[in-house]
Amino acid sequence: MEARIVNKGQLPELLDKLAKDCDLIAPVKEETTTLFRKISGAKDAFLEYNNSDISPKGCFLPQNEKTFSYTYTGDSLEIVKPEGAKKTVLFGTRPCDIKAITTLDPVFEGVKFGDEYYSSKRENTVIIGLSCSKVLSTCFCYAFGGGPCDGTGSDLLFTEIGDKYYVEINTDKGKALVDTYSQIFSSQGADQLAKGKEELAQKLSGEFIRKVDLTGVKEVLDGNFELPYWDGDNYKKCIGCGTCTYVCPTCHCFDIFDYTTGDFTGDRIRCWDSCMYPEYTLMAGGHNPRPTRKERVRNRFMHKLKYHLDRYDMVGCVGCGRCVKKCPVNIDITKIINDLKEVAQNA
Amino acid sequence: MMDVMQQLREQAKKLLEEKKVDLVIGFGQGTELARTTPVFIDSPEGVSALTWGPFCANNLAKYLVDYKNAEGNVAIVVKGCDSRSVIRLLDDNQISRDKVVIIGVPCAGQLEWQKVAAEIKPDAVLKETADNGDSFLVKTSAGDYTFNKKDYMLHRCLVCENPNPVISDITIGKELPVKNYEERFAEVQELEKLGTDDKSAYWDKQFSRCLRCYACRNVCSVCTCQICVFDQMKPMWVSKRTNLSENTVFHITRAFHVAGRCVDCGECDRVCPMDIPLRKLNQKIHKDLGDLFDSPTPGSKPGLLSALGEFCPGDPEEFM
Repeated sequence: MEARIVNKGQLPELLDKLAKDCDLIAPVKEETTTLFRKISGAKDAFLEYNNSDISPKGCFLPQNEKTFSYTYTGDSLEIVKPEGAKKTVLFGTRPCDIKAITTLDPVFEGVKFGDEYYSSKRENTVIIGLSCSKVLSTCFCYAFGGGPCDGTGSDLLFTEIGDKYYVEINTDKGKALVDTYSQIFSSQGADQLAKGKEELAQKLSGEFIRKVDLTGVKEVLDGNFELPYWDGDNYKKCIGCGTCTYVCPTCHCFDIFDYTTGDFTGDRIRCWDSCMYPEYTLMAGGHNPRPTRKERVRNRFMHKLKYHLDRYDMVGCVGCGRCVKKCPVNIDITKIINDLKEVAQNA
Repeated sequence: MMDVMQQLREQAKKLLEEKKVDLVIGFGQGTELARTTPVFIDSPEGVSALTWGPFCANNLAKYLVDYKNAEGNVAIVVKGCDSRSVIRLLDDNQISRDKVVIIGVPCAGQLEWQKVAAEIKPDAVLKETADNGDSFLVKTSAGDYTFNKKDYMLHRCLVCENPNPVISDITIGKELPVKNYEERFAEVQELEKLGTDDKSAYWDKQFSRCLRCYACRNVCSVCTCQICVFDQMKPMWVSKRTNLSENTVFHITRAFHVAGRCVDCGECDRVCPMDIPLRKLNQKIHKDLGDLFDSPTPGSKPGLLSALGEFCPGDPEEFM
């Protein structure tokens, strides 16, 4: 694997150039929150964050997306689709969030049902990861094979070491970007920094507080849809908001509806939806297969720990810890995993 | 606070043993040192899960609505602010008085868990907590920590109207002094000073971050509509599309819908994942209701009529 070095002092130059040449999306600070936004240059980027409040999944699956506009003229229907995605660089993404994008890929880029809106953005975006410098008490990416310095899924991975960034080139797309801005990426001394990165990865991997072990969890869920465990406190305390699903980097459910802008014109919109909402599975005839919070809570964790595995052979959680942190009533997926493991052991 | 916790457990055990209630809803240790989580205890053996201290920020009163049609009675642990919610639920006929046993605990304030967690060694285990007036002592396996209330408490607690439960069947712990905070509406007064355009810009910036996760609505103890207007599909009054316009409709509608009923517990503010200062909206309405109608905080005593549900000939009519 090839690697380069970028002096920290040269990062603003790189970001300014990227912002000029394409759409640059990076973490920004808004009041007390950290979000991913399109920025106009290095001055807007906020890289000293640990875990953004909202993941960058919106770069590929925006919370609202116009899929087409329509106009009915009396004898014909005119459909106008939005233009394909622009060349974009997603900079400063943490490893867990990149892994999350790789769990969305099979959903939207399946052979049978490809999603052109997602694919267009995915193809035109270069993902530049940024290794973590700290492990938070809510982090548990290691449990799913990830790590604070894991570059899986990124085109380039930046790791901060002293006054330099060690840059790993993981794909051809990443290589092309490095070649375009070759005056900023130096190859001298990259080998020495590789050791620094290894040491950092080693150090951080020992800092996880949450012990999460998935042994037996999938198996116990496989055969037991009506597990008595789901009758416990989790659904009783759930207030049924959509926070966990909206801050989750792998949740991807959406709703589609028409937004009329005149008698004969309108937009077809796709927007995020949440399986925690009562109307999510409500059918036209009035039946709801998930009538209470119990079924909805079960579904969310079944999706993360079983269904995504069944369909794509990947766990639907990456251990970013956002739902743990943001849940108003402290429903904690790590506790659920450990509880289920115990259920499996006692079975 | 160990004694309060002990008494809480004893009282809960007694209630369950004597079959006075079938369920006790209280606070249990959460998955972070500085967090608690709601617990639902249905057997005397389960009461050891109950805890108390400066990490019990949640207002549990809303859960009473879930059990309003349950066969047995429910006991609930409330702080001063939460007790106002119980009164509102009773006054709105959401729950019946004879089915609820209210365990009131005077509250010395609640700490912001994230701020506390940032200071404490991550793998520390909580031993006990104590209120030292201006600060809390938090004893952990990794040593003792002191948290000044001024810096670590939730803002709502810094201007607490009444730390003592205004309704309760069983009170645990000593009554605390009620302070009159002149700065209660300081943040609202700052906003009031802005011109219309600046106010609009301020809220536009806040509402544009809204994800419409509805945590603020769902946690709200006075949001008890069986089908909320924002969930209604036919007709769809507000689109699921999130944008400034739809988000603004949501927040302004909600603020006015709870006007005269909002008990100022500040839960909407606490749970917002995007840190939108929602309590300021409600506080503006509280302030206006006080200025215009001399209306006390809803729920601050039983049987208060809602300012907007009552007509007095002397009410101001500036706009007529």
